[in-house]
Amino acid sequence: MEASSEPLLDAKSEVTNQLVDFQWKLGMAVSSDTCRSLKYPYVAVMLKVADHSGQVKTKCFEMTIPQFQPLLLATSSLLSASNFYRQFKEIAAVIETV
Amino acid sequence: MAAGELEGGKSLNGLLNALAQDTFHGHPGITEELLRSQLYPEVPPEEFRPFLAKMRGILKSIASADMDFNQLEAFLTAQTKKQGGITSDQAAVISKFWKSHKTKIRESLMNQSRWNSGLRGLSWRVDGKSQSRHSAQIHTPVAIIELELGKYGQESEFLCLEFDEVKVNQILKTLSEVEESISTLISQPN
Repeated sequence: MEASSEPLLDAKSEVTNQLVDFQWKLGMAVSSDTCRSLKYPYVAVMLKVADHSGQVKTKCFEMTIPQFQPLLLATSSLLSASNFYRQFKEIAAVIETV
Repeated sequence: MAAGELEGGKSLNGLLNALAQDTFHGHPGITEELLRSQLYPEVPPEEFRPFLAKMRGILKSIASADMDFNQLEAFLTAQTKKQGGITSDQAAVISKFWKSHKTKIRESLMNQSRWNSGLRGLSWRVDGKSQSRHSAQIHTPVAIIELELGKYGQESEFLCLEFDEVKVNQILKTLSEVEESISTLISQPN
């Protein structure tokens, strides 16, 4: 799985959604018909998202632990970038008034 | 049965690779006849078929039990002692194959057992929402995350989500709780 630490230029999906709800659980896959000894932990996520019309859809997916880490890192980077952007704009606005 | 013809490390290694592609990695379509003619051309089809079945069975058993190296050695040794089992040369090839492919095969098995979508990739960016250059309003950043989701063997679906800073903070808090759970789980002896 790739997680780019640099911002993407071009979203593949045209429509953006708002996140309405985020539920999660941590599970352990023990055994299956093809593999008697699976033994791996996974994070299961259920998102409720609303599109521009307000229609709410449910999206479920799972991640292994190595896949979860980049998600955490990306969200953290996103917050830093948001902070940086806001501060940068505030500074620029102040400079303009001088 | 001409055991000599069925030995030969390179051929067996090629066979195991093909079996792994077919059984675990979701690339079927390699026929028995193709394998025989490419890897064991001197072996007649009626001898090759049970041989192929035996190797497939052994590989499946090893993968299913996720054998560590001790279990693997014990298992393969038992196979060499069986009537109609394998030779010690073949055991050596199988052992070497499992050691180098174990991680990849295990990953495939994990993917196969996931019936929900998996997270295949993610990207993010920050956009600026602002009204005009001269507006006194504080410019608000908009965070965008694009998740690439997909079920095993199916095309990816892209989900694009938009957040303000408050929301990003909330999500980060939730993800930290997840991470705490993971740490607790991993630190527990099983």
